Amino acid sequence: MGRVLGKRTRHAVGIGLVAGIVVIYLVMVGLANAFAQRPAITGIGVESGPGLLTLGRVMIGGAFFLAGLAVGSRFLGPQDRRERLLAVVGGSALTGAVGGASLGAFMLFAATVPMSDIFLPVTQGAVSFLAFGNPPEIGAIAWILIGTLTASAAGALALLQKRDRSAVLNGIAFTLLVSLIEPILRPILGQVGLREVTAFLYSGGGLTQHAAVFLFAGVVIASWAWERPAAPVRMRMRQMPQANRRRAGLAFAVLAIVGLLVLPQISTGFVNQVLVNVGFFLMLALGLNIVVGYAGLLDLGYVAFYAVGAYTMALLTAPTSSLGGPLTDLGGVEYGFWLALPVVIIVAALVGIFIGAPVLRLRGDYLAIVTLGFGEIARFLLRSEAMRDSLGGPAGVVGIPNMHIPFVGTELVSAGEYFYPVVGFAAIAAYVAWRLSNSRTGRAWNAMREDETVAAATGINVTNYKLLAFALGGTLGGLAGGLFAVQLRSVYPDSFLLIISFTALAIIIMGGMGTIKGVVAGALILVGLPEALREFGEYRYLLYGAALVAMMILRPEGFFPSRIRRAELHEDIEREEEPQLPESHGGPPAETTRGVAVPDTPR
Amino acid sequence: MSQTTAADGQSEVSAPVAAEADGGRVLEVRGLTKRFEGLVANRDIDFDIPRQGIVSVIGPNGAGKTTFFNQITGLYEPTEGTIVFDGTDVVGLSPHEIVELGMARTYQNIRLFENMSVVGNILVGHHVRMRAQWWQVLFNLPSVRREEKASMDYALELMDLVGLRRAYAEDLAKNLPYGDQRRLEIARALASRPKLLLLDEPTAGMNPAETLQMTQLIAHLRETLGLTILLIEHDMKVVMGVSERITVLDHGEKIAEGTPLEIRTNPQVIEAYLGKQAAGIEG
Repeated sequence: MGRVLGKRTRHAVGIGLVAGIVVIYLVMVGLANAFAQRPAITGIGVESGPGLLTLGRVMIGGAFFLAGLAVGSRFLGPQDRRERLLAVVGGSALTGAVGGASLGAFMLFAATVPMSDIFLPVTQGAVSFLAFGNPPEIGAIAWILIGTLTASAAGALALLQKRDRSAVLNGIAFTLLVSLIEPILRPILGQVGLREVTAFLYSGGGLTQHAAVFLFAGVVIASWAWERPAAPVRMRMRQMPQANRRRAGLAFAVLAIVGLLVLPQISTGFVNQVLVNVGFFLMLALGLNIVVGYAGLLDLGYVAFYAVGAYTMALLTAPTSSLGGPLTDLGGVEYGFWLALPVVIIVAALVGIFIGAPVLRLRGDYLAIVTLGFGEIARFLLRSEAMRDSLGGPAGVVGIPNMHIPFVGTELVSAGEYFYPVVGFAAIAAYVAWRLSNSRTGRAWNAMREDETVAAATGINVTNYKLLAFALGGTLGGLAGGLFAVQLRSVYPDSFLLIISFTALAIIIMGGMGTIKGVVAGALILVGLPEALREFGEYRYLLYGAALVAMMILRPEGFFPSRIRRAELHEDIEREEEPQLPESHGGPPAETTRGVAVPDTPR
Repeated sequence: MSQTTAADGQSEVSAPVAAEADGGRVLEVRGLTKRFEGLVANRDIDFDIPRQGIVSVIGPNGAGKTTFFNQITGLYEPTEGTIVFDGTDVVGLSPHEIVELGMARTYQNIRLFENMSVVGNILVGHHVRMRAQWWQVLFNLPSVRREEKASMDYALELMDLVGLRRAYAEDLAKNLPYGDQRRLEIARALASRPKLLLLDEPTAGMNPAETLQMTQLIAHLRETLGLTILLIEHDMKVVMGVSERITVLDHGEKIAEGTPLEIRTNPQVIEAYLGKQAAGIEG
């Protein structure tokens, strides 16, 4: 076979088969079917109902699209234009056809051999949905055609200039995103009174056709203009004097704060709860980032701190708890939370040291396994019968009083009201993480992460800094737990599954190890987005896994990588700005190095 | 190398401690023995370094030189013997405590903090001479800011001193060329303001031109900073050119000690070590 078919053909067929297998997998686990009724763009092909372009089908088409893109960008080899066109479009079309044919074969197979007993989602209804309501033979042919068309279109993108290509891809991604977040965006827009906008954007759970075209075109043009080599927008922003740039940054910050203040008022209770959850995970991830990202200690049992914080808060403030809520007695319902907060912080820090001390000598994967154990031990203790009298066993602790704003005395009830303290504490966590990152302390952690032995031999007290990382990381986790307990008003052992540790870790990895911006983005994407896509339900972790694997392969440095990327950007800016230096300084350029001013004469 | 001599080494980067005029010893090692499960890596070694001297330890591969180094810097605990550094017995102290006392080292296989910036590496070296605690950092106290600024300036001066271009300051350490990585390691070691600098084969893997530059740098450092330097070397030219006294180890034992001239003519040394390379040295 290898002799008969060229290398390229084999490659195209191979990728097509991979795409086909991915798609069949999506169908067999029921993911494609879960989105059967959710339109991406409403009403295409029919007058009413979800129409042909549902998210389920978009997902399958997306797999073919990506396969075509992959093949297209690899087949750019031939110098001759016509030959290259043939290689790229032909190759990607072949990929799509193979992918579509795989799906078609699966459909035919599923139609003749019922397998819904074993693979529950593969019902005749699901097959019929895949076949667009037609017999499976026709559906199979349709998918071969669809696969060929989407893949070759995607492959053709590879022929475009990089800027044009990324403009089109941005357009597609953005349009799809707006369609996906319909459950969040629609109520918000409704609340603000933009009914016309809502009516224009959405109908029946998906984008309208006009809106889709409008959004796509808008993003393509905007992205294209931004990326233009000498784009006026970007150049002007680059060339802005330092003072103006700072002013722009300040304006942006003010805008962001106002946006955060207004957001819970204009969104629904559901969205607010999602945002509050994002806030909890943001704090967890920021804390874990200190331990894993800064200090390089792979702690998989981080959820233990979340549990410790939550239970400390619960026991100290809930009148029905075994302790009887002593701090609520002391400070009343108004100040119970605020009195308990410092205790939560201290307890979490102590637990951090307590957990950290025995694992001081462990490194890497050994540390991960032991901390994983700690995470499970924490939950087992919480739900154990032996501790039932003090910790409540599986029934947990209920009746935690709501938080009250100090001095004002207003009780916080809804998620929208809790949004503010959660954002506040998350901001404090981010501040802590940011301050420490570029300090004597942060550098000591980084050195330890890079090479523990050399760090010690360079003068770092490794023991102390490890314990400090566990204590400070634990404090942030405990703080998140305390807020979680008071917002939920109850705590149960099963709220503290290991998956919380993994999610926090996934957020850090996804966002770019060690950066705060990345952690925020990671929390929004990994916690916020799946909540918005209720259909994901059980598939959430499947998607986590897929996203992480894809991330590790395609962009191992995360969305917002810290060092390397920054270094690149610096080089960029330096080159463009250097000629201007004399003007702004009004004298010969001072000897400077990236961002560090150097005094002319030391001392 | 011009940067090295042009560097303003006399101001910030000055001698860490005014060298006492006692002509005494910075390091006194007595009866040092290290056994690893039956293997004797160092046997009963006596060893002194005079203040502001440049002393070398040479010996064939596996002679126990690096083990000797690791015991002095606290990475290994000696099985027997004493190590007195600047009047303090350092046996049993942690590596970071020894650094604080004024000892710093480099490694035979360069061991930088690869994913940290060049200045970041130097600032880690300066860690023991900084005071900022984490809670002070959180409140961004004026003292913290001042210290951070001063340390940054100091780090940049050290870059000048060892001949690293300041433009590299924000680059990742792992992206530096090989020779510059060696220089960075020395800058990181110097950042702790050591009295005694231990260099483990600083010219390993360098071409003759780079080796010459490194030799000049070592001599220059001793002069400008009043350092005492202990060198482990393979390269005979480096050892003979730069050191005042040489100690020869073979099979974990000290077999000879003396000036370069004495070592060069010591028959035992020639037999154990130089015999193979004698031609290279004579010529």
